[in-house]
Amino acid sequence: MPLMRHSNEVREMAGELGKYKLCVSARSADKAILKKAQDGGIVTQLFKFALEEGIIDGAIVAGPGDEPWRPRPFIATTVEELMTSSGTKYNISPQVSWIKEATRSFGLDKIGIVGTPCQMQAVRKGQLYPVGLRDVPDKIKLAIGIFCMENFSYQSVKQLVEDHAAMKMEAVKKMEIGKGKFWVYGQRGQVVQLPLKVTHKYEQPGCHVCLDYVANLADVSTGSVGSPDGWSTVFVRTRNGDDIWSKAIAAGCFETKPIEQVKPGLELVTKLATEKITKNQKTVEERAKFGVNKGLRNPYLGPK
Amino acid sequence: MWNYTGIAKRTREYHEAIILSKIVEISPTTRHEGHSKLVLKVDDAGIIERGDWLSITPVRGVEKLAIGKTMDQVPKIASRVCGICPIAHTLAGIESMEASIRCEIPRDAKLLRIILQSANRLHSHALHNILTLPDMYLPGTDTKINPFSPQEPVRSVAKRIQRLREIGQTIGEIAGGEAVHPSNPRVGGMYKACTQQAKTKMYDLAKEALVLAHEQMDFMIAILRNYQKRDWAEVGGKQIPIPKTLGYHNQGYMAAHPMYGSSSLDECPGWNPDRWTDVRPWDWYMGEGEVSLADPSYPIGGTSPVGTKVNPQMEACTGVPLYDGSPVEVGPRARLVQFKNYDEKGTIGQQVARQMEYPDCLYTIINALDEYNPNGKVLADHIPQGDGSLGWAANEAPRGTDVHLAKVKDGRVLYYEMLVPTTWNFPTCSRALTGAPWQLAEVIVRGYDPCVSCATHMIVIDEDKRLVAQKLIQ
Ligand SMILES: Cc1cc2nc3c(=O)[nH]c(=O)nc-3n(C[C@H](O)[C@H](O)[C@H](O)COP(=O)(O)OP(=O)(O)OC[C@H]3O[C@@H](n4cnc5c(N)ncnc54)[C@H](O)[C@@H]3O)c2cc1C
Ligand code: SF4
Repeated sequence: MPLMRHSNEVREMAGELGKYKLCVSARSADKAILKKAQDGGIVTQLFKFALEEGIIDGAIVAGPGDEPWRPRPFIATTVEELMTSSGTKYNISPQVSWIKEATRSFGLDKIGIVGTPCQMQAVRKGQLYPVGLRDVPDKIKLAIGIFCMENFSYQSVKQLVEDHAAMKMEAVKKMEIGKGKFWVYGQRGQVVQLPLKVTHKYEQPGCHVCLDYVANLADVSTGSVGSPDGWSTVFVRTRNGDDIWSKAIAAGCFETKPIEQVKPGLELVTKLATEKITKNQKTVEERAKFGVNKGLRNPYLGPK
Repeated sequence: MWNYTGIAKRTREYHEAIILSKIVEISPTTRHEGHSKLVLKVDDAGIIERGDWLSITPVRGVEKLAIGKTMDQVPKIASRVCGICPIAHTLAGIESMEASIRCEIPRDAKLLRIILQSANRLHSHALHNILTLPDMYLPGTDTKINPFSPQEPVRSVAKRIQRLREIGQTIGEIAGGEAVHPSNPRVGGMYKACTQQAKTKMYDLAKEALVLAHEQMDFMIAILRNYQKRDWAEVGGKQIPIPKTLGYHNQGYMAAHPMYGSSSLDECPGWNPDRWTDVRPWDWYMGEGEVSLADPSYPIGGTSPVGTKVNPQMEACTGVPLYDGSPVEVGPRARLVQFKNYDEKGTIGQQVARQMEYPDCLYTIINALDEYNPNGKVLADHIPQGDGSLGWAANEAPRGTDVHLAKVKDGRVLYYEMLVPTTWNFPTCSRALTGAPWQLAEVIVRGYDPCVSCATHMIVIDEDKRLVAQKLIQ
């Protein structure tokens, strides 16, 4: 099966990568963004462009919280505010908690939101089944999904950093999960890598029933896997996402390369996605016979 | 010899023929909020001699279940009494708590509440236009107005009404967190300040609505004046004469403020709890009777069949609050009477007063926005937990004065009472029915823009302020 087809053609290849029109490897053309970004700075650059063009009038992002590396979701309405949100925080940031308030005391009409695949699901569910979400569905104008294998509680990350990697939380410059390791980079140049098997018991249990790796329901989704360091893998999925992406490309916001020309490329993305889904699908199925003659709930099935 | 027995018998028959009035019942009434009915004693010509308009909405007993709950929770429950004017119940509820614990809220919180209040009145009055118009005629014709008609000029009017409502609800949603059951107000102020961007958005919307509100007011008043000039209205295929005194009554008026409200924290409160008494429905409404007049052609579905038993005393689901010992009218006209020397009586006068409130909703919003500082604080620094003192707050809801009384101790509600606009209006409107053809009784009722769910409460207090009856379940 050819891995690359052209834009405007939604393709449904292996279900694990979801539907998309275009997949590229890309990075922001803005040095300032790249300096602070986790990978290619796709999220920050695309929101910056959308804010400046009036495509959105605010974006729900994960900014710095009360403790080092604890994310706090907030609504950025300026580029300066947006810039404080770059970088991945590997613990839960309840992004969707602001989605209604954005249309209320913030008075937004056009909302951007970034989040993990589960948060993209929440956004789409809220748009189609707006239970208690009056006036929200038509105001979501750009939903950017980030790839996600699993997430952690704050306590878990702290334990990994302070006990396993022996570094103070506030001394950490960057964290990264890649190449089979959990990487912790210190402000003073230290680099600690933990094998992923050390991290497993700290994962938040809810992630074990998650069947989405590359944010299938976003307008645009992005992650590090598949592209070289400093670059991102980007899926442009919806018509709306395609429209904004094309405009951003035309405006010179991004450098791109066809995904087939980069290593390790889509093959690795597909492999990891398949692994996640296969493993978690098994967990979902096991829940049905968790007890003796009774099981645990399966959210993918309707109520009996 | 005089046959005394014979004379007495004849006299009695003669008198019975004159005084024997008929009872007709319209149940349920329509084009207003909630569930109510009309029990009407009429003469031979079908003119109402005595009318009882009463709630038959099941009592939900909010006041009873409030006891023991937190002061933060109770106003959020009270909001759910009604979805048209939840703002009134939220604000009166919260402000009665604040009055009991004596908490002054910051100015910017107050401004957001005023914006929310005015936006809700705008939406509510516009909604009521939809309920009123089907009784009215296109001027110069004998065609009644169907607000859902795709034909002009009605179509543009309906669109204008919907836009006014949309703007009212959107501004309410921004200032109040939610248009139906506002989430932003809390004891001590507001949860969230509105940003500059939100302020600008509300301002633009208010400016847009101001133009529409003026147009809508002029349109409605023209339609109402036209009705006033008519001699008859068609009901169920018959021409019913419209009396010049349609809806007149001789009761008093009560209003706490032209726009917002008042509370026991005010230096000069706009309402006085000592002037309020409550009587039980069985002291005030008609007793047992039987329907003796029925009209199957009354739209839609006819009146109650002959033989139906009625008993307003027992069926009424509301207490009867009195001010200075008699029923009073509350609502737009009462506000204009109290604060602007308005003096037009009757149903049309009442409807005209409602339309006259349109522009004020928007001027109030615009002025409050001018004063509002997005960086100001919206929560009091200190929120006392209460020592059980009585506090009250009167909110001028779209339909009139909505008074909530509360006693809070250690953050919990010891006592809670809601005296909502339509409860005040039930007995007054009942009096105003006298003299009208029974077929127009609903037109009089709609003049009050009734909100019957709001009115259905349960605590009844006698002249000495003793609790004399509690009806939780009928
Ligand atoms: C829990 C988690 C697990 C991840 N797992 C993978 C993975 O397995 N494979 C992979 O390729 N990529 C993964 N990513 C995505 C990757 O780390 C980058 O976030 C992504 O590539 C975007 O980088 P960027 O340079 O384009 O974004 P930047 O411009 O750096 O912006 C990052 C954006 O992510 C948002 N963000 C940061 N932390 C969170 C959070 N906890 N929750 C929600 N939003 C947040 C910020 O608001 C910011 O807008 C994961 C991200 C998270 C948060
Ligand atoms: S693994 Fe799934 S559930 Fe867990 S954070 Fe990522 S997207 Fe959400």
